[in-house]
Amino acid sequence: MERPIFKPIGSPVGELDTPAVIVDLDILERTFSTVASFFKDRKAKLRPRVDLHGCPALAHMQLAVAGTVGGVSVATLGQAEAFSGSGINDFSVRGLVVTPQKIARLCALARHATVTVAVDNPANVADLSKAAAAARVQVKVVVAISTKPDRLGVEPGQPAVDLAKSVGDSAGLAFDGFMTIEEKLEVDDVSQLAAESRGWTQRAVDAREAAEAAGVSVTTVSVGGTYNYEVAGATDGVTEVPAGSYALMDSKYRGRRDGLEPAAKILTTVTSFPEGDKIITDGGNKAVGMDRGNPVSDEFPEAKIGLSAEHGNIGLETPTQRRINLGDKMWFTPWDMGVTANLYDYMNAVRSGRLEAVWDLPARGRYR
Amino acid sequence: MDNYRPAVGTPVEQLDTPCLLVDMDALDNNYAVVAETYRDTVCKMRQHTKNIKSPRLANMQIQAGGTLNGVCTAKLSEAEVMVEGGIIDVLIPNQIVTRDKIARLAALNRRGDVKVTVDNADNIETLSEVAVEQGVVIGVLVEVDTQMNRGGVRSPEHGVVLAKLAMSLPGVKFRGVMSHQSADGWPDADERMRLSKEIIGICIEVKDAIESEGIPVEMVSSGETFSYAAAAQIPGVTEVEGGSYALMSNIYGYLDEFQVSNKVLGTIVSTPGPNIGIGDFGMKALSTAAAANATIEGISGVTIEEVQDEHIVLRSDGTESFEVGQQFMLLPGYQDHMPNRWDQYIGVRKGVVEQVLDIPARGCHH
Repeated sequence: MERPIFKPIGSPVGELDTPAVIVDLDILERTFSTVASFFKDRKAKLRPRVDLHGCPALAHMQLAVAGTVGGVSVATLGQAEAFSGSGINDFSVRGLVVTPQKIARLCALARHATVTVAVDNPANVADLSKAAAAARVQVKVVVAISTKPDRLGVEPGQPAVDLAKSVGDSAGLAFDGFMTIEEKLEVDDVSQLAAESRGWTQRAVDAREAAEAAGVSVTTVSVGGTYNYEVAGATDGVTEVPAGSYALMDSKYRGRRDGLEPAAKILTTVTSFPEGDKIITDGGNKAVGMDRGNPVSDEFPEAKIGLSAEHGNIGLETPTQRRINLGDKMWFTPWDMGVTANLYDYMNAVRSGRLEAVWDLPARGRYR
Repeated sequence: MDNYRPAVGTPVEQLDTPCLLVDMDALDNNYAVVAETYRDTVCKMRQHTKNIKSPRLANMQIQAGGTLNGVCTAKLSEAEVMVEGGIIDVLIPNQIVTRDKIARLAALNRRGDVKVTVDNADNIETLSEVAVEQGVVIGVLVEVDTQMNRGGVRSPEHGVVLAKLAMSLPGVKFRGVMSHQSADGWPDADERMRLSKEIIGICIEVKDAIESEGIPVEMVSSGETFSYAAAAQIPGVTEVEGGSYALMSNIYGYLDEFQVSNKVLGTIVSTPGPNIGIGDFGMKALSTAAAANATIEGISGVTIEEVQDEHIVLRSDGTESFEVGQQFMLLPGYQDHMPNRWDQYIGVRKGVVEQVLDIPARGCHH
């Protein structure tokens, strides 16, 4: 468990113990207003994807904004359990729930909360139905539509309709609609990705049309994310967009999404300055994270950033003229904030440079 | 955080997944290798706990033998966890520079002997001031940059200057020199020995220079898993900071006396194609380093096609077909970052749960 030195509320941000996740509340509120203005008058609504931070306080803020469905999207049942303990009561779980252990947990959660799970397999539908009926709960089910061959989900035509019908005929289950599960997005070119995603979105919409033509009523079509929310959210037939990165942002999307700026950054401290062109900090890979790409330094945006496990290494082309002292603070914007948030137990919410709140992240590490 | 505590005796097939397993037989083997290597040597193991994050696992090596009853930690908060776990001899081979952290280090020295490495005169002066204020003595070692090109002095002369300064100030006690290096990528044992001696020799030069000024050098802390055998034979080295050997990684398979003991247990949740299985964990649970060069056990003929954020895509060569609900295990390419993402090890022996081991230093970045 993270063990920072806790500083009093009101402390200047530069005095916080590092490395630390810092969330700028002013930026966060501007972001929420940008996203709300897109969704509030549309048919499609936002379902905040909260596994990218694991923080109930932040999830409640996301749900308090206009234009949401009133529930959240999570990757795992364990995350839903953690958020459920903090007053969130409507979940869409993207990970498939197939084992007896997990199905039992799902039914227990469904007593307290509205839970939607995805399926892509008739045997799984039968298992879910049997358990839900025995537990006398109702589980909402969406059929997962694959984005391409050999990936999670079924084809949007007859396979999707057949599975939808079997859900509809199953005790304990309520057929709700369709969902695509989009992962490992390469975002060098967001506009190209958004264009490509029209194909995935269309597959989900095709599934809807096929189901409706077969007399199956469809409530939910859930597709997209931060990278394409304007595209997915404006597509006829789409009812919700499970976007998450928009809230805290990261350098993956920085400068690539209009109106969205990183609200979260990592504050680190200079621990060694052995040479003029090399600054060593206390934030390495275990604290900043670089699973999918390198972080960007605020102070030296052009610098080559190396992260060994325990140290950050700001490598400069030429020795800096700036005076560097041990103890100086250095800010980093991680490449993927979802990776970084999963390394922490707390986020420090800051307004105008002063600590306003410390938020727990109880859903961190909930892979199960 | 997760809190998964399956009952002792639970068969692996009944575990909820994903979870992080430790094969206790493999771990015992790795600890026995180290105990035997250092049984009669002057040089001892000081296990680096950044790879394990658990005082329980560290205490197992101490009980097995070959150690000096102490450990390394990368961070101050990790050192607190080890002291709380009963290990009072701790070396933090890293720089602690801010006053609030130094105050915390000083306080910890009331309960333990927690030493840090230095590469800067101002830092030694601050350590001295805070230690004197609190009425404790903090042990310091001069860090030497031999290869990593990050913290550490770059010359014997600089090392001597810092050692003299530490000797002259109250509240700090000069204890020795430390270097970290990586003799990775040298599968040939002789070549590894030669390279280890060469790199660690840079640290020994600094030790010699300090001693020639009449300053005693009690500790020479150097070497890691790759050079664990070599370091024991290098005159002057008093301790080795091995970390990877305990849980091990596929990429160090050439150190075949050690076995990979940490494995992620997963379940196939979808079979969208004839030879495709989708597993229930992904990059978030692994880290890039663990995912690269990872291998799959438990289902024959399987390779990793793609590691997504929350799922892993496995491809079979057709030897065995995937079934929804089927379990598999992933052996990490490089494990160091992985336990830092989990809250429990599920200790397994002969296919059943033997004990659940918490990972209390997970997330100890401070």
